[in-house]
Amino acid sequence: MARSINIPGLLRLVIVRSAAEAAEVDEAAGVDRPLSGRGRLINRLIAAKLAPFTTPDGQPWPAFAARLDALRAERQSGLEEALSRSANLLQRLEPEISDLAAFVCDRLPGASVGVIVQQAIGRLFFPDYRATDDSYAAAVTLSTWLSAGPIKSLLLKRSGRFQAALDLVTQDARGNASCAHAIGIALHGIIESVILMQQLASGSDQLHHLSPEEAVAQTLRAPARIIREARDRVQGRHLQLQSRSLILIPVESLRQQSADRGAAFAAGRWNQCPAHAFVPSFLAQVWRVARDSQ
Amino acid sequence: MPAREKDFEFRRSFFQRMMGGIYYLINLIVPWHRLPTLIGGYNLEAFRERLREQNLHHTGYGPSEAPSWRAGNERWRSADGSYNSLVHPRMGMAGVRFGRNVPLAEATPDSQAELLDPSPRVISNEILRRDKFKPATTLNLLAAAWIQFETHDWLFHGKPATAENAFEIPLSPNDDWPDAHDGVMRIRRTPPDTSPREPWLGATPTFRNHQSHWWDGAQIYGSDQKIQNQLRSRDDGRLNLGPDGLLPDDPAAPGHDLTGFNDNWWIGLSLLHNLFSREHNAICAALKEHYPAWNDEELFQHARLVNAALMAKIHTVEWTPGVLAHPTLEFAMNANWRGISSRVLRAVLGEDNETVHGIPGSATAYHSSPYAMTEEFVSVYRLHPLIPDELVVRSLKPDVSEETYDFIKVQGPSTRDVMLKHGFADLLYSFGTANPGAITVGNYPDFLRSLQKVGEPLMDMAAIDIMRDRERGVPRYNRFRELVGKPRVKNFEEVTSIPGMAAKLRDIYQNVDRIDLLVGLLSEDLPQGFGFSDTAFRIFILMASRRLNADRFYTVDYRPEIYTQLGMDWINNNTMKSVLLRHVPELAQALDSIPNPFGPWNKL
Repeated sequence: MARSINIPGLLRLVIVRSAAEAAEVDEAAGVDRPLSGRGRLINRLIAAKLAPFTTPDGQPWPAFAARLDALRAERQSGLEEALSRSANLLQRLEPEISDLAAFVCDRLPGASVGVIVQQAIGRLFFPDYRATDDSYAAAVTLSTWLSAGPIKSLLLKRSGRFQAALDLVTQDARGNASCAHAIGIALHGIIESVILMQQLASGSDQLHHLSPEEAVAQTLRAPARIIREARDRVQGRHLQLQSRSLILIPVESLRQQSADRGAAFAAGRWNQCPAHAFVPSFLAQVWRVARDSQ
Repeated sequence: MPAREKDFEFRRSFFQRMMGGIYYLINLIVPWHRLPTLIGGYNLEAFRERLREQNLHHTGYGPSEAPSWRAGNERWRSADGSYNSLVHPRMGMAGVRFGRNVPLAEATPDSQAELLDPSPRVISNEILRRDKFKPATTLNLLAAAWIQFETHDWLFHGKPATAENAFEIPLSPNDDWPDAHDGVMRIRRTPPDTSPREPWLGATPTFRNHQSHWWDGAQIYGSDQKIQNQLRSRDDGRLNLGPDGLLPDDPAAPGHDLTGFNDNWWIGLSLLHNLFSREHNAICAALKEHYPAWNDEELFQHARLVNAALMAKIHTVEWTPGVLAHPTLEFAMNANWRGISSRVLRAVLGEDNETVHGIPGSATAYHSSPYAMTEEFVSVYRLHPLIPDELVVRSLKPDVSEETYDFIKVQGPSTRDVMLKHGFADLLYSFGTANPGAITVGNYPDFLRSLQKVGEPLMDMAAIDIMRDRERGVPRYNRFRELVGKPRVKNFEEVTSIPGMAAKLRDIYQNVDRIDLLVGLLSEDLPQGFGFSDTAFRIFILMASRRLNADRFYTVDYRPEIYTQLGMDWINNNTMKSVLLRHVPELAQALDSIPNPFGPWNKL
């Protein structure tokens, strides 16, 4: 059963604890992804934190776009379609896959796996995309911003580091909000998976014993958490939500409870990750190349 | 254009924020309408500044460019409203999108499954349907006609052209709706906006206003050059009137007057269109006398400026305090137009303050968004309960007996016959001595719940009103309250004290957050003297000023060099009463000692 934290004037938060509750949140009419910046103090602070994730013309990044936004849906399915041609894409990404495989085999000492993953993801959108230490540092700053507490957030904001990081990612994404999301936020889950692959491969004979699919199943990671807002009171089968509640969905924790690999990507729902098929293929290919290179 | 642009940034000053905070605390204990007049007036000012900062949202223009420049655009109103802003010529012109009074992310329709819940037809039958006529005893029927006359100046979504993709409202087995199709009632959709959408609009639907958004008398002059040309006599600036002094019949819509906008036509509109067309011609005659060398174009355009401003003034200082009869509001509306005379307040507020001088003649201000009428404004002006089901026609002559008409017989193609039979003076007198309906639940006119217009399907306007708000993504009542700065209600009893209504609302809606905006506005308990809800009034506070603030011809160009001194004097010296008496002097006795011509007149 969901946990509700209700501190008058300060916070109204519901933490989802089961896949059924998460599914209900996804389908509830009064719940959406854009945060209004209304309600209690911490609710407003969190909304303010997510508000800058827009393109220069005000278009929200896809992870913050509304369910009924037709353009979001169109772009989501367009990107999904593009990423479904995984054979071609994996061919395009051979250099990066090869580097990541070397990293998994521990044959690439000192390499920044983050830069390589960012470049691989960026090249899905623009074949000539080049990631750098600076661009990856920008993505790390964005990730830090999302998970930081109030003091760290304030420091990031006042120092200008957050805005500089956001500007750099936006510029590298060439105005493409999906690309910005991918090279700024979504890459961190893939990086984590690759690092887990390296740990899995080192110190034992797992690299030869595990098939690529088994390796992916063991290393795939979902975003730690995502946030929604109930605009109005929602009376569902599993959940009772007050208006202007923030809803925290611990996606990774729910994924671990579920046997379904698609749970990491909300597969089959309106908000499914367009890369839900591509990312497992990509990781499997990294494992395969690493194994074959031994 | 991006979602935010430099020309349209507005932030309250520190002092305004502080006052907003102080009034927030005061209002936790005492609502604005129970405060002393001056303190209450400043409370409204604090609301307005906050609304200007938070409740104006641009949805893009729609059309990619303005029409070509025409000579005179710099000093006259163009037919379609373009070039009112010389920097942003598309702003407010006919065909441009409606804006929003709530953030775009909040202005999204429910998903298809939720959109019809609860059934608009059930709401029409159970909540809105008139059980017995409840009159608004402080108003006359002219006040009801006036607001429709004005909204026809400001907004028109266009006629639904096709039944394709209509909403299908399931009917309950005991519903006797005569135009059922396989157990459903069909409601056609608002004509879609087919212009390219900006990516930042998200899930917010957009619709285009076919009228010019400005307060420019477009209901009389049209929002299109071709229509305007049809209306003009080309003789000393005058509008076409027949030998009987009435507007000519519209050959395309028999029974309707040929005027700027004649949709939803009925006798009340005909009276006001005729009255202010006559006023236009009277202004032309006065201008001609002062400026004998002026040609037809100069006379027409100047008269239009003056006539539109006079209608705006009447609406601001006569109609509004009539409908919202509260001393604070009367003070505020007069301050909006004329400014304030108190030397102390002038010293406190500063000479540049718009409250000191009134908005006319002040600097043009768009605040946080390009000027446009808004969907939420349209929603709060759904005032159909004002219309009675019957019209009693009285004569100024004592020996003529009354005649009662079903309302359906004084609208559409029948309108002109009624006008010709009873005449302008007697009909005005009849309107002045009849009450409109009170704006409340259980008072929606029956004939509008089963309205048959020529060439259109049978319509339940009450169900359509509900469906329009949902279709256009206007937030439901409780969230709407929150978004305009009022606390949400926690239960049905907090919405209304009308006996039995809370239980009825609970039965139909179950969840208080699902109450439709219109139902909430009509159910709400009203401040003393108010004719409509305090929640709707928040939009009103914002938009009533904005119609003036944003319009060049009411701000920087509200001056004798543009209007002429005669024009300025005409606006200053005239009222609804003087206009009525100029054109219908027989009404003198009926209007004698009447403080507000939108209140009940003397019965002779």
